[in-house]
Amino acid sequence: MNVEKMLLKCQFEQWLYDEAQLLDDIEFDDWFDLMHSSLRYQMPVRVNKEGVERPDYSTEMFTFNDDIELLKLRVDRLKTDYAWAEIPPSRTRRFVSNVRVKDYVEGEKAVVKSYLLIYRSRSTDIQHDLISGERNDEFIFEEGKWKLSKRIFIVDQSTINTRNLAIFV
Amino acid sequence: MLKTEKSLEEMSKQQVVDYLNETVKPEEGVIPAYLLGDPKVYDIEHEKVFLKTWVFIGHDSEVPNKGDFMTRELAGYSLIITRDAEGEIRAFYNMCTHRGMKLCRADKGNKSLFTCPYHGFNFKNTGELVGVPLQKDIYGGNLDRSEMGLHKVKLESYKGLLFGTWNEDAEPLEELLGDIKWYLDILVGRAEMEVIGVPQRFVVNSNWKVGSDNFVGDSYHTMVTHGSIAKLGMVPNATYSKRGFQIHTDNGHGLNLGTPNPDFAFPEELKDEFKTNLSEEQYGVLSNLKNMIGNVFPNLSFLISHTKIKDQFISNTSIRMWRPIGHNKMEVIAWMLVEKNASQDWKDRSRDSFILTFSPSGIFEQDDTEVFTDITEAAQGPMPFLKNLTYNYTMGLHREPVDFIGPGVAYDDKFTEASQRNFYKYWLELMTK
Repeated sequence: MNVEKMLLKCQFEQWLYDEAQLLDDIEFDDWFDLMHSSLRYQMPVRVNKEGVERPDYSTEMFTFNDDIELLKLRVDRLKTDYAWAEIPPSRTRRFVSNVRVKDYVEGEKAVVKSYLLIYRSRSTDIQHDLISGERNDEFIFEEGKWKLSKRIFIVDQSTINTRNLAIFV
Repeated sequence: MLKTEKSLEEMSKQQVVDYLNETVKPEEGVIPAYLLGDPKVYDIEHEKVFLKTWVFIGHDSEVPNKGDFMTRELAGYSLIITRDAEGEIRAFYNMCTHRGMKLCRADKGNKSLFTCPYHGFNFKNTGELVGVPLQKDIYGGNLDRSEMGLHKVKLESYKGLLFGTWNEDAEPLEELLGDIKWYLDILVGRAEMEVIGVPQRFVVNSNWKVGSDNFVGDSYHTMVTHGSIAKLGMVPNATYSKRGFQIHTDNGHGLNLGTPNPDFAFPEELKDEFKTNLSEEQYGVLSNLKNMIGNVFPNLSFLISHTKIKDQFISNTSIRMWRPIGHNKMEVIAWMLVEKNASQDWKDRSRDSFILTFSPSGIFEQDDTEVFTDITEAAQGPMPFLKNLTYNYTMGLHREPVDFIGPGVAYDDKFTEASQRNFYKYWLELMTK
């Protein structure tokens, strides 16, 4: 890996770290500002298949399948006084790693893969939830910033072991 | 209330059953909290409810082609559900008859032969044992393969809904369903329906009965638990959930029917198909339907929901099972159904409205799971039993049923707990039989 590629990787790592911080700090409006208007935010349902048959997730059913409008609705909802699933908010910690820049056109677009581990703690419950998976992200460069235009989160469980996804992945 | 020196744990099974008879009083609207938190009650439920009655296992559109199979659970035991070369659907215990290995570990697929990973015994999708490695050599030609087919599971279906039971003497499925069939026709018999993709699955630390109770008749919680939905303008107002009817039928089934609806909630172009499949009365209900939320005893809940998304109304139809995996834990399995002949645009919008509202990320569902979890937690351990903590189910006890165009006992709005009392009445009947 040459220096140029390292800097590139570093740039997107930093973007993902900043994003993680906004989500963990419950700064949803600032997080939403990172999204591109053409956003597709998707989390397919994982399936147990025989052998190595791929893809091992559904191409028709999703846990999230939002465009920018639906994602806005979720963010707005969390600000009403009735979004009980996150009252009080979960304590989350997002660990991003294994960042790989798969495609890059300077000042235009990028494709980045990364791993994500979310630790989630609710209220006084001493049990925690772990959500693990791979993010397949696409970015568009707009007004001097990288905006997320597509995210496909491939979760590592076919039965999700957290009571809901009132949090973002 | 009856006081006892013994804890449930120390009681014999018969003593627990007697205690249930004395303390569970659905007709008076008294349901003790220990029903949601006691492992012994859970064990008796497994034996007297889940091993005895018909339990939902899937929809026939999930195995549409010859050779398709899927794996499911029935009362905690894995099943293989297959469609054979003639199109017949069967269910088998997912266990090799030689040494008991789990035969199939995939969720679904297409194949006509299942090979055991332990010794390579081969079973056809009709259940027959058709191949045993080195058979002649090692069994001396004495192995009777015809005696070693997979254990068949009793399976019956209604309008595409597949149910299984371990009870060979179970009454016919249609008898158990009884009058709820009239409403299931509207839910899944109105047109040819198909499951989109695969079901959603997630685990909630809740007793399964909290889910059934919520769907069988609780529209009262909508104004508060789902208050955010009205705030966002996706439903008319916070009290819209009262309008309509609550209906319950024999054997613990029940539903809330939200009417009227100025808009037609289903694909307009399929009106002829709906009319062909439904009676005039059923079509009348369908035309005016705002939502339909119910439960087929014990744990199959269903829903038609009509919400405004991006300034456009769209309905979605789903069924969900609250699969018990412990006295304080369940797996929610939710299937989304759509009219097979609807346009792709309708199917996509309907699916996305389902995902947005009722799925692990659903903005209705996620608030329910918070409530389910905390109710269950508060019911755990010996205290709720020792202190005789009970829930109040008396709402609407003073009311008289009304005439309704469909069968069952109907009330002329949804804010009553008659359906929940009916659910627990049948539950008690099975538990104490």
